[in-house]
Amino acid sequence: MTTQELAPAAKVTEHPLRGKRILVAKPGLDGHDIGAKIVALALRNAGAEVIYTGLRKSAQHIVRVAVDEGADAVGLSILSGSHCELVGQVMERLREAGAGDIKVFVGGTIPEADHAQLRERGVRGIYTSDMPLEQVVRDLAKALN
Amino acid sequence: MSEQAAASPEGAAALNRRALGRRLSELANADATRVLALDAAAPGVQPTAARIGLTGSPGAGKSTLGGRLAVHRSQQHRLGLLAIDPSSPLTGGAILGDRIRMDEVQGIERLYVRSLASRTASDGLAPNIAELLFAMEAAGFDELMLETVGVGQVEHAVRHQVDTLVLVLVPGAGDYVQAMKAGMMEVADIFVVNKADLAGAAQLATEVQSVLQAFPPPNGGWLPPVLRTSASDADSIAQLSQAIDRHQDWLRQRGDGAARQLQRRRHRLHSLLERQLSQMAQALDAADLELPLAQQVRLVVDRLRAVADG
Repeated sequence: MTTQELAPAAKVTEHPLRGKRILVAKPGLDGHDIGAKIVALALRNAGAEVIYTGLRKSAQHIVRVAVDEGADAVGLSILSGSHCELVGQVMERLREAGAGDIKVFVGGTIPEADHAQLRERGVRGIYTSDMPLEQVVRDLAKALN
Repeated sequence: MSEQAAASPEGAAALNRRALGRRLSELANADATRVLALDAAAPGVQPTAARIGLTGSPGAGKSTLGGRLAVHRSQQHRLGLLAIDPSSPLTGGAILGDRIRMDEVQGIERLYVRSLASRTASDGLAPNIAELLFAMEAAGFDELMLETVGVGQVEHAVRHQVDTLVLVLVPGAGDYVQAMKAGMMEVADIFVVNKADLAGAAQLATEVQSVLQAFPPPNGGWLPPVLRTSASDADSIAQLSQAIDRHQDWLRQRGDGAARQLQRRRHRLHSLLERQLSQMAQALDAADLELPLAQQVRLVVDRLRAVADG
């Protein structure tokens, strides 16, 4: 085997999310989770332990899982347009559960106009579907380390 | 937290889930030095919870079955479930997907489900599993379930950490022959042929039964029952639960709890040492590995002593 062939393997030895536990959650009613699954795999490849909730989960369900699983972060994947409402519910329930320190990120179809409002509610990062996965991983690693 | 949970008549209602969630993360991440420090700070945990293990090959339906069983048994017990999924050896990352099969556990206060990654463990469990189970006991659960990663032929370690071990088989997977090869037949207390609606389930159950009768496992007189289960059949889950109760009763009458505690402690030490020694072997450089073998061992032993001395 030549050194050229080894080069890609050397690249994947960087795992900026190693040891982090991240819940990838789908609140609300939209039925598409291929994006969430791809993000979950990207996070795993960056070394994270990823818990995935499956589709159509309530804020109550998501917060219970985040707390029981000792998650460092929750990523909410929302394509339905009701992101402001759903994020508000999750943030409130996290605080009620004494878990306001779990960092919340949002991904999906999130219009620019709503970003400021989401950040005001405490969202640490907003990842729209056109964003490269490497950038999502880099940003998360920065926020969690 | 543990005092609170134990003192409350509602038990799990007063369980501080956030504190336990963090505690388990801390323990899962603890290296040997940290484990020794934590043990020194709180020695002599008296284990009180009954422990049930679920093991079997990948795709046998352990998570779905475990979820249903946990819901059923949470009517009688404050129950904690640890479910282990494999870590990628390349990245260390993991998709912890067991609980996606356990949605029905969510609204139940008396139930606590935690996913674990196997990380560096190659025995079907996870590093510091003994510590994690102790922490669950200290939090006031009176029953613990432990679901291994999908196992093949060599992962018997779960036997050392549970009282009642359920081996989950599925028809058509050939895993029964694998289990025979592996000696799994000798270590399980209850055999389950899961997905019992599939073709071949009855035949598999009969075969397992025949082998068990011809070669009763050397476990002091308990003849393991062979049950057929299907996650969608509540009666079959109830029957499995009753079989577990019978085995627990049998264990109580047998009264060898002290021996099992010793076995757990031995396994705890063994896995701690195994992980530590493996790390130290990894840390030796090329020059170290050129030395005579006895000197290599000495290097590792010296480093191990340094860990023990803090």
